[in-house]
Amino acid sequence: MTLAWSPSRRAPLGVYLHIPFCRQRCAYCSFNTGPYRPAAMDRFLSALLEEIDLVGEAVWAGDVAIGTVFFGGGTPSLLDPIELETILDRLRKRFALDPGAEVTVECNPESLTRAKAEGYRLAGVNRLSLGVQSLDDDLLGRLGRLHSSGDARKAFEAARSAGVDNVSLDLMYGLPGQDVARWESTVREVLAWRPEHLSAYALTLDEGSRWAGEGVAGLPDEETVTAQYWALARLAREAGYEHYEISNYARRGFTSRHNQVYWRAEEYLAFGPGACGFLGDVRYGNVKPVERYCTMLEAGRLPLGTHEVLTPAQRKAEKVILGLRLSDGVPLAWLEDARSLVETWASLGLLQVAGDRCRLTEAGFLLSDSLFVHLL
Amino acid sequence: MALSRIRNFSIVAHIDHGKSTLADRLLALTGAMDPKKAVDQVLDSMDLERERGITIKQHTVRLPYRAQDGQEYTLNLIDTPGHVDFSYEVSRSLAACEGALLIVDAAQGVEAQTLANFYLALEANLAIIPVINKIDLPQADVEGTRRQIAEVLGLDPGEALLISAKLGTGVPEVLEAIVHRIPPPPGDPAGPLKALVFDSFYDPYQGVVVYVRIFEGRVRAGMPALLMSNGRVYEVQQVGVFTPEMKPVEELAAGQVGYLTAGIKRVADAKVGETISDANRPTARAFPGYRDAKPMVFAGLYPVEDTAYQSLRDALDKLRLNDSALTFEPETSLALGYGFRCGFLGLLHMEIVQERLEREFGLALIVTSPSVRYRVITTAGETVEIENPSKLPPTGQIDHIEEPFVRSSVFAPTEFMNPIYRLAQDKRGEHRSLEYLGKRVHITFDFPLSEIIVDFYDRLKSISKGYASFDYDFLEFRPSDMVKLDILLNGDPVDALSVIVHRDKAYEKGKTLAEKLRAVIPRQMFEVAIQAAIGSRVIARETVKAIRKNVTAKCYGGDITRKRKLLEKQKEGKKRMKQLGKVEVPQEAFLSVLKS
Repeated sequence: MTLAWSPSRRAPLGVYLHIPFCRQRCAYCSFNTGPYRPAAMDRFLSALLEEIDLVGEAVWAGDVAIGTVFFGGGTPSLLDPIELETILDRLRKRFALDPGAEVTVECNPESLTRAKAEGYRLAGVNRLSLGVQSLDDDLLGRLGRLHSSGDARKAFEAARSAGVDNVSLDLMYGLPGQDVARWESTVREVLAWRPEHLSAYALTLDEGSRWAGEGVAGLPDEETVTAQYWALARLAREAGYEHYEISNYARRGFTSRHNQVYWRAEEYLAFGPGACGFLGDVRYGNVKPVERYCTMLEAGRLPLGTHEVLTPAQRKAEKVILGLRLSDGVPLAWLEDARSLVETWASLGLLQVAGDRCRLTEAGFLLSDSLFVHLL
Repeated sequence: MALSRIRNFSIVAHIDHGKSTLADRLLALTGAMDPKKAVDQVLDSMDLERERGITIKQHTVRLPYRAQDGQEYTLNLIDTPGHVDFSYEVSRSLAACEGALLIVDAAQGVEAQTLANFYLALEANLAIIPVINKIDLPQADVEGTRRQIAEVLGLDPGEALLISAKLGTGVPEVLEAIVHRIPPPPGDPAGPLKALVFDSFYDPYQGVVVYVRIFEGRVRAGMPALLMSNGRVYEVQQVGVFTPEMKPVEELAAGQVGYLTAGIKRVADAKVGETISDANRPTARAFPGYRDAKPMVFAGLYPVEDTAYQSLRDALDKLRLNDSALTFEPETSLALGYGFRCGFLGLLHMEIVQERLEREFGLALIVTSPSVRYRVITTAGETVEIENPSKLPPTGQIDHIEEPFVRSSVFAPTEFMNPIYRLAQDKRGEHRSLEYLGKRVHITFDFPLSEIIVDFYDRLKSISKGYASFDYDFLEFRPSDMVKLDILLNGDPVDALSVIVHRDKAYEKGKTLAEKLRAVIPRQMFEVAIQAAIGSRVIARETVKAIRKNVTAKCYGGDITRKRKLLEKQKEGKKRMKQLGKVEVPQEAFLSVLKS
């Protein structure tokens, strides 16, 4: 039994693989991840390969190119290079993995050595995304990260010396006790490393995280978080980075191809517990518990948990909402029904109309949810 | 059935004294309802009634009863609403009866509505049977309650029945008392038809179902029914009784209570108080008309979406089929667009109408702050009646304003007298009389109606720990020093938020209003200034700061659905927002004016 849905067109697909283990759960994390145990990892990997095989049985599988692969988590850098290579090989066997595909692995600084980075590169990985989060050791401790700022620096250098020439760094702001000055110093230092790509997210207390459950003291006020956003935007611009998506910055030519699959409402496959895919007009998600995910695959069944068929109106709304996350924006024609909203936002400096395209300004990015709500 | 075997009666009581429970007991005991199938309190059939535990629309049911004398009787129970807003409806039901059970809670004693209902029953010349309920409660004070029945109501305390409707204790004796103490209905079944309409409801299949009490003659299907007030003739399609379900019967004769349908399209065509007769043999004398339901409280109802205006009109039309006390006429507001100025019996009535419109018709509504009807005497000597604060003439044209006053009764334990007097003073009440009834007092005040329509009752309940009860009746219009208080959002007056207040209270009211609005108006993309003003003088100001950021977390691992659902949830919240200029104002904003 394979997937019931098929891609709507012959364009390359993205692939997301979820590695659902961490050595320690971070205080802010609400993602689908559990404690790392070698035995659990082994069982999971067998199940993952089985899932690739099952989905690979689809009649279209051999014909549709895979343009991007993203290992997310959890902590994908818990995989040793051999394991990662096995997974990629299985993908190559079942699907037409594009030789030029962007293959990204999320790494935690403490688990990335030069040898591992090199092993990943030799297995076919050409992009690493490093979870630096902060260069403030105090904050890293509070976040529940296992690395120090020194470890982050070493991991970045390990990636570089292993020959990985496309590295992205993840940062967080709006953290407890983090003022604008502390944030700026992290940003300045990180930019000085000259990574190709930078993602920076303001902290949100999501349901399922420890901080959402227990509460957390010392959160900066809205003014501070807003100032942090603008500080980053300014420093990144000065350093030659393009603010190409609400939370993402890149040097020329290094925008994330995989994430653009999401933002352009293109199609992608999902593997691993809780992973979400999009095929045709169906968004689907796998079951979240690792145990259940493995059991289902061991019984030869796809681990589907949920799916929803998008109406044409929902599809259209998604394309607009996701597209406006990008600095490219969307064709103005897509906002035909929201003319007065466009005018209002343009008059507030939150949106720009240039020729036949419409895009959010950096000020607009900051308030994008308010606009998106109207566009649903 | 001979008239001597018919009894028509109502049950009247203060709220929560056990009227519905007793009604259920009577139904079960007479077999009108299978106890196994009993849904609690069947007579309260509207969902809203059940949720709020009050009866709004009255219901009627026929109870077959074999009395201890061995004879079969038909007891027609006409249920009555139990809230101060609906005393008018109570009076309609009572006119169709010969007797009433007056229930008094043994733990609470005589309350304000006990007294009000007692007077209504007296006016209708009914035989009154006092019933002391809840005698099973540990705090029941039967002797004290008996004394109050004698002292406050002037009834013979020896005649009071002692019951527990909850347990069924004493209920068989109630049935016997109905048979023996309430007179059978008068009337000649052979005379020309004379039937009184005491209620009606609209049924989508049969048209208006008219509740009738037959006083003379008989009515059956096929007869040409003459509505005496307007001379219209309808062919009677069905007559029947309530068992409590509607059950067709061959005919209804003098003394009986039941329903008829005659293809009548609107409730307004067969008004309460109407006399129905036989077009072939009309009665010589119609009943004097009932007094019309007079709306006391007015508010604007506006659809959140302009496009829903027609739906709102249709829905109001439909509600009016069933609710002759509801009035409405189109009005426009600069802020809210097209809507209706509606008249209600009171605030509860207003809330019920609003809830039914939202629940049964799926409308999203904005209700403007309720107002009473003011009388404005202009400098030109004309009198203008104003139900909408924004329609108040310019100050220069006003000679003076008169506002409606009510005379009210408050019953409470003596220890709450001080807070009650303080509340009354705060509400511009004028003390009229004070009467000690053992450990309780009966105080009468005159109040401006505008002061008691909103939160008076809640506050009275709260300062008296729930022990005080309250009832009122319209008294007269009196001159008062009233001013119009306007609310401005970013400098633009919002007509729908204007209120008329007494000058002495304007400053405080303006301040409270601005504060409340600040609390309910969500932050927007820009700063929102809220001002309260009398004429051009700003008396209070508050600011809602602009939102600075709302970027949510990453769209992780392509879980777009989750992100979309979060946004959809926010959008759901927006549905109840009204765009006033550029400012989005939630429905609660209008409500907060109402509650302050």
